[in-house]
Amino acid sequence: MSKVIVVTSGKGGVGKTTSSAAIGAGLAMRGHKTVVIDFDVGLRNLDMIMGCERRVVFDFINVIQGDAKLKQALIKDRRLENLFILPTSQTRDKDALTKEGVKAVLDELREEFDYIVCDSPAGIERGAHLAMYYADEAVVVTNPEVSSVRDSDRVLGLLNSKTALAEKGDGSAVKAQLLLTRFDQNRSANGEMMSVDDVLEILAIPLLGIIPESTSVLKASNEGTPVSLDEKSPAGKAYLDAVGRLVGEQIEMRANPGEQRRGFFQRLLGRTA
Amino acid sequence: MQSGKSAAEVVATVKPFQIRGRSFTAVALHLTGRPDRAFFQALEARLNQTPLFFENAPLVIDLELADGLDSAEELMRLTAELRRRKLSVFGIQSGTPAQARAANEAGLISLPAGRDVALERVTRQGSRSVPATPAPAPKEPANRMVTQPVRSGQTVFADRGDLVIVGSVSSGAEVIAAGNIHIYGRLRGRALAGVNGDTSARIFCHALDAELLAIAGLYRTSENLGADTPRQYVQVYLQGEVLRIESLK
Repeated sequence: MSKVIVVTSGKGGVGKTTSSAAIGAGLAMRGHKTVVIDFDVGLRNLDMIMGCERRVVFDFINVIQGDAKLKQALIKDRRLENLFILPTSQTRDKDALTKEGVKAVLDELREEFDYIVCDSPAGIERGAHLAMYYADEAVVVTNPEVSSVRDSDRVLGLLNSKTALAEKGDGSAVKAQLLLTRFDQNRSANGEMMSVDDVLEILAIPLLGIIPESTSVLKASNEGTPVSLDEKSPAGKAYLDAVGRLVGEQIEMRANPGEQRRGFFQRLLGRTA
Repeated sequence: MQSGKSAAEVVATVKPFQIRGRSFTAVALHLTGRPDRAFFQALEARLNQTPLFFENAPLVIDLELADGLDSAEELMRLTAELRRRKLSVFGIQSGTPAQARAANEAGLISLPAGRDVALERVTRQGSRSVPATPAPAPKEPANRMVTQPVRSGQTVFADRGDLVIVGSVSSGAEVIAAGNIHIYGRLRGRALAGVNGDTSARIFCHALDAELLAIAGLYRTSENLGADTPRQYVQVYLQGEVLRIESLK
């Protein structure tokens, strides 16, 4: 049974594309055949973050419009054999996406892949709507900051009403989980940032993972490497934990999984989050 | 969100015409046979009972029980007779294809069968200005229950009763009820109770962090709630013209 997972947030710049790449790579590392689709038509980013921008010939829109076959547009990752990327068009806009076209592509992908990760554009308009429309599950990426939380809340409302599962009307719903990114334990403790509990109280969905603010994320993006391939970085580890939870494993939640050489008291206290 | 155009846009684009859906109430005249002398006598008698009620009322001829009536001349004659009695005939309904063609020739339109209003109600009204609009049946109160959190951007409306939310109401969300509003969770958004003017409606919530509270149109926003407002287990009600917030503990 293949699963369509949408990575979405409402607000821009919170780390959707970074998370899509990291989750896609994490799933592939676990041996699941995975494809990551870029729904951000006109602002092609995913291929850069995944380091395959020079191999793009055909794209998602070409496939939707019948100008290319799906096989021609899929790009196989050079590092992970189970990972594929379906890039989007830089020259078109979101109007090129159609419900029927997206459904046809997803149906074809479902036959071959275990996981289909849809990287949603920011906003709640056509691109974001179509990215979530056929999803089975959702990863809602949120920063610990009020406007991001409110936008995520809005997106959760749309996931509950404007998706194919919700429109069936038989009580089925997209399973949504929270991925809290750019989290800084110290600033949260000082009250500069919202705490994990504050965010969870407002959004009222299960927590998939907490990704610490880390310099390794920007570095990985610039190098075109999904950050989960950098197993030494705290963010990379946190993404791998989140992927484990996404496939159903029980993994303890750590606010700062990369922290080394912690004192006895820190170890004792650091587990509460 | 999807509500029409803003006033500015309407002003900016002056259109030569606008098209709007419109429904009218018409009188249906059911023929049970050919319109003979007896028919017109009976009609006269009926019209004389309430002379003003049918005057110039839009009228449609129902031909369901008048099978033989399918010539254009006959329909034209009938139309002329009816119009002479100040009945504004404009079409036929429930006609056979042959009758529809005849009506077309006679300058009438053919309508699909509509739904008749109960006879007593039509005849009881004697005023000229009210052309037989059926009084809406008194609506039963209908309470509404929501067992999921109400998210930012969502509106939940209980138009005929109480609204019960088992969960929180997010900031940017709106819960509206004709009756009371009960929230088993934190209210961060807007709550409007008694929107049809019921001043006895109340709002109850487990935790109060509202952007706006309103009962029967009287409202307070978070800005003028004050620091000493109770925040846990509260009820909101109207006392005269004052919106009071009181702890239930």
